[in-house]
Parts: sequence; structure tokens; C-alpha cells
Amino acid sequence: MAKAQEISIRPKGDVSVIDIKGDVTAPTGQPIEDAYHQVTAAGAKKILLAFASDCYINSGGIAILIGILSESRKKEQAVRMTGLSAHFQKIFAMVGLTKYAQIRPSEEAALADF
Amino acid sequence: MAPEKKFQLHLPSTLGCEKVAMDFAASVAKSMNFPADRVEDLKTAVAEACTNAIEHGNKLDASMKVGISLTIDKGRLQVAVQDEGTGIGRVPTPNIDSKIEGKSDPRGWGIFLIESLMDEVTFESTPEGNVVKMIIHLEK
Repeated sequence: MAKAQEISIRPKGDVSVIDIKGDVTAPTGQPIEDAYHQVTAAGAKKILLAFASDCYINSGGIAILIGILSESRKKEQAVRMTGLSAHFQKIFAMVGLTKYAQIRPSEEAALADF
Repeated sequence: MAPEKKFQLHLPSTLGCEKVAMDFAASVAKSMNFPADRVEDLKTAVAEACTNAIEHGNKLDASMKVGISLTIDKGRLQVAVQDEGTGIGRVPTPNIDSKIEGKSDPRGWGIFLIESLMDEVTFESTPEGNVVKMIIHLEK
């Protein structure tokens, strides 16, 4: 029932982009955490979470993102997000995630903003 | 006056099944001409209520059912999600700063989202299980 999940990493200048497609939920969170740990181990200081616009994100997925943002704060990494639908932009603002990772309207805008 | 219409669905308590209820509720809301942003609100609220029922009410026991009933009545849609579990205690209002700082569990957003996105919400604990009733109005 879960949409096939695809998580990939690509460098874009000094920014590590983590592309996230599919479900972002508690049961599917591990690959996202793994990708974050991988770029962190490689020394990333700027991270862009690039969501596909049709991602299904629930409260369990929000908890996964909080865990990542909590760790990134301790490691003094800058995190931005892009690709989110208008609905999830609203949800992320509602829960306060945007205090810790700003949302940008496009990948180009996010990359220019670190 | 249009008669009340009721739809029902039963799901096993398996994570992921909440998406069936979410899509079902979205179809009914679209048929009532709810605007797209309100349909998205409803999808998230229904998914969260079902996830709570699966995980906390029925404790992931796939043999236990989650019942979803949708009632269309006078320009409003009521969604009731029922599990077979015993009372779920209320969770404190989540605080992002506390969670980011590691002072509280990063989870616990489900009820907050339901209450934030729906027009009316009630929680009941009955001998048959927990029931969350959510109402969304066409005219907000």
C-alpha cells in the first residue's frame, strides 16, 4: 500500500541534496535517516531535503524529520526543504518545522539561499 | 432537504491501510465539491485518526478492525474512526522546541493535526473502543 520509496543523494556545489520520493512515515523513515547520516559522515554542512510534490507525509514522518533537524542543529548544519505541496508547507508551518528548516519554492531558490 | 447518506469501511490494523481510508474520504469530499485544500486537510486528519486507531487503539493487532463511517448531512461531512481498544490517554500539546531539543518524544502530532485541520472534533471512549468524530463543513 505504501508508495515505492526512493531516496537518493546528489551533491550540488557545497550542498548535499537528499531527494525524497514516496511515503515519509515512521515505517519508511529509516532510508531518509540513513541518507542524512551518510551525507553527515561525508562532512555536509548544507543539506537540502528535496521532496517529490506527491509525497505522503504523516505525523510519524514529521517525527523522523524532527530527529534529523535535532541532530543537524547539534552539528551546526544548515537544512532547507523544497518540493513540498502547498498542503504540507502549511502542515510544516503549523507544527513549527519551518523554524528549524526553511522551505524554499524551488531547488534553485534553496541552493541560492544557503 | 437531501437525505443523509452514510458510507462505511473496515480496515485491518496494519500500518499503511490508513491510506485506503484517506482516499475513500477524499473521494466522498470531492463528490460534495469541497475545495482542494479542504480535501487535503481531511486526508491528513483521516490518516492520522486511522494511524492512531491502528497503532495505539488496536496495538497493531491485524485481527482487530478499524471502522470508518462517513456521513454526509446538510453541507457537512462527518467522519467517525473507531478502534477496538481501551482508552487512549490524552497526549500533551506537542511543542516543537522541546522535541528538537530532545526533551520530549518527536512523535505525538496526530491529535494536534486532527484538531487543527478539522472544524469539529470529539474523542470518546466506549466499552467497544475509542471513537474519533471529525466534522468538516462545506462553508467554513
